Amino acid sequence: MTHETAYRLHDLKFRYSEQFLLDVPSLEIEKGSSVGFAGPNGSGKTTLLKILAFLEKRYEGHLLFDGTDAREIGEEARTKVTYLLQDPYLLKRSVYENVAWGLKVRGERHGLRERVYEALDWVGLDPKTYASRRWNEISGGEAKRAALASRLVLKTEVLILDEPTANVDRKSAIGIRNAIERIRAEDGVTLIIASHDEVWLHEISESVLRVSGGKIVGRGADNIIHGPWRPDGRDLWTKTLSDGQAIFGVGPPTDDGIAVLDPSSIIISNSRPAGMSARNILKGVVAHMWEDGGSEKLRVEVEVSGAAFLCLITRFAADDLRLLPGKEVWIVFKASSMQWYRPESLF
Amino acid sequence: MGYITGGFLKAFQLLGTGDPETYSAVFTTLKVSSLSIAASLIIGIPAGFFLGYREFRGKRQVRTFVDTLLALPTVVVGLLVYAFISRRGPFGNLGMLFTIPGIAVAQTVLVTPIVVSLTATAIEGLDERMRVTLVTLGADRFRIALASLKEAQFAVLAAAVTAYGRAISEVGVSMMIGGNIKWHTRTITTAIALETGKGEFSMGIALGIVLLLLAFIVNWGLIMLKKRA
Amino acid sequence: MRKGKVLVALVLFACLLLFAGTTVFADAPVLRMATTTSTDNTGLLDYLAPYANKSLGIELQWVAVGTGKALELGKNCDVDVLMVHAPETELQYVKDGYGKDRTQFMYNDFVIIGPAGDPAGARGKSVPEAMKKIRSKPALFASRGDNSGTHVKELELWKLSGIVVPQKESWYIETGQGMINTINIAAECDAYTLTDRGTFIKYESNWEGKTPLIILIEGDKSLRNQYSVIAVNPTNCSKVRYDLATEYIKWISAPEAQRLIADFKLMGKQLFIPNAGE
Repeated sequence: MTHETAYRLHDLKFRYSEQFLLDVPSLEIEKGSSVGFAGPNGSGKTTLLKILAFLEKRYEGHLLFDGTDAREIGEEARTKVTYLLQDPYLLKRSVYENVAWGLKVRGERHGLRERVYEALDWVGLDPKTYASRRWNEISGGEAKRAALASRLVLKTEVLILDEPTANVDRKSAIGIRNAIERIRAEDGVTLIIASHDEVWLHEISESVLRVSGGKIVGRGADNIIHGPWRPDGRDLWTKTLSDGQAIFGVGPPTDDGIAVLDPSSIIISNSRPAGMSARNILKGVVAHMWEDGGSEKLRVEVEVSGAAFLCLITRFAADDLRLLPGKEVWIVFKASSMQWYRPESLF
Repeated sequence: MGYITGGFLKAFQLLGTGDPETYSAVFTTLKVSSLSIAASLIIGIPAGFFLGYREFRGKRQVRTFVDTLLALPTVVVGLLVYAFISRRGPFGNLGMLFTIPGIAVAQTVLVTPIVVSLTATAIEGLDERMRVTLVTLGADRFRIALASLKEAQFAVLAAAVTAYGRAISEVGVSMMIGGNIKWHTRTITTAIALETGKGEFSMGIALGIVLLLLAFIVNWGLIMLKKRA
Repeated sequence: MRKGKVLVALVLFACLLLFAGTTVFADAPVLRMATTTSTDNTGLLDYLAPYANKSLGIELQWVAVGTGKALELGKNCDVDVLMVHAPETELQYVKDGYGKDRTQFMYNDFVIIGPAGDPAGARGKSVPEAMKKIRSKPALFASRGDNSGTHVKELELWKLSGIVVPQKESWYIETGQGMINTINIAAECDAYTLTDRGTFIKYESNWEGKTPLIILIEGDKSLRNQYSVIAVNPTNCSKVRYDLATEYIKWISAPEAQRLIADFKLMGKQLFIPNAGE
């Protein structure tokens, strides 16, 4: 894999309104890498993806693609990138025409039929059945697969996918995942995906960036804890959860500072621990468990008062604790293990 | 009221026996309305597209102006066009008064606002996701414009049908500009006006039915076209 | 690109129609006439045109409008010849230099018609008396109100009877429409009206004789309805076919056409009396 940079963002800001701002002080995406963006709805993921796809130009700051400022980018560079909308739109024509359209626009008519059929195969749509269907004769999931095929067929250098598996049936989700895995295996394709499906996102991406409140607040699977924080009279600051439990932190930069908590700094216990120096002892329930991309560790999601805490523990420890989803546990971490989000500290 | 049943009977008699006056009026009507509709589509679709697609200063005012033109009475259009193409008018040399092209020009003035307004509305109603999709699939401006028009084709077709209906049924312009000259510029509607003026009500109703049949055939043809597309 | 194909087909179709229709008449020079509705509505022009076309080698096209509008079309050079029936206005028109070679060629007469019951008691009276009866009753009176020859005549009759031309009076209905429509309106509201005899005969024929309105006053000298043809003055309009207009005027006042006019009948009744050269 080469280590050229596909994208370089610097001091990029996008203002939705007085209150909300997408703010990316610095970000680099390498060519041929696959990057995931995780985060809640309205966090700014879609806007960021649209900016990367050159579809949104009302930003301040700098976006460089292949070393060229995106504002001065030519026709050729623009066709190196394509973007799949979260809620895709099909032209009012047949599935075949939809998939072939981008190629026709590019003047690539050679072997058109074969290429369209191949792309339909990738997303699990049988060309014989689906190629001649009209846009309104297929289900939502099939439409999303057709839309994905219309992007894959272009073989662009960069593929940007906004929630590719959201709001589709199981079969379509599988078709979409298979197709994306296939494209990922190809050399030199830069894959940028936003998804709620974090398990899959971790599988498919080399790195996952967490977006929250218009900011990239963490790398990997860090836990993000938003304020507001109140001083508790001592050196500590506290945030009270809805069920009355409290989280303690040390000296946030502002009242509404964002805390970043490394999953491996959380301890899970079967019973309420006593006599510990750690300030944060929270009662919760195991929600999900999954393997961490081939390592010997397990990711365990513990739900505490409606908020999810991601913990990274050894398989051995998990066996020992007999962890299963639904089991009541306590999570423990030091107040000082919470880092405060500072843009410059991330990269 | 014997007029009505008499009118129906007469309508089928006129059509069935190939009455030359009736067929002359039918063909004149077809000629005039086809010419005017072709011209209004050629002018109106690009104009409506531009109006619906592009953002520019004063766009809303232009829209309001075009929408106001929809209410233009036919006699006003007739008067206006008459003033221009009368021998005394600026385009008098063309000798267009009392000719089919003359009526077609006036009808074009009459129905182009319909095409412009409805096309603009159709284009404005297009999904924003469509534009994003076209751009990300690599389309340039021209391609986007073309594809947008195609996406809106049924609405544009509806605009054409509405405009055709207006052209085929108007009487003011045909009367003023055409002069209702027998075998030349007598359309179905001016013939109806004439027959009514002569007190031949059942003949008027018969011609009205012929006009309806014509409109029906045109609409039906377009529906077939839409089905096939 | 089906849309494009449809469009092209439409344009071709329109062109085809246009040429298909026009070639038939392309040979003969066209003489354009503006005429009054009465000559057209009675069918006189349809009857005369083939003879004129044949003997003059022209194609006569006419636009049937009120006399006022016909004169206006001549003023704007939009027609070559006029066939109108408002003598005083015509004389002024010629004097003003818009028309030339005014030739009287036929007349018919106006009649005052009204409800069969004759509520104003106008039947058989002289014109001024009858007008006064209608005025003083007052019975309803329907007026064309459109500057047509008939309207001009009606205004003359009011003046002749010493009555100020009625305006905005509840018994005086200005229809602003053609003769037949005005008669129909009069019939619907039991009103009196002035009409040329030709149109009334046509109206009767539509009703197969059983008309709600009947002729109450006829034959008075003041009711004569004189028709004339006028050439549009070529010094005013350089492009008019003055040559053809002159030929047409000659033709219609010659014995052959005069006889044809005398022979023109509707429901067995003669409509117009030729009087060229009188």
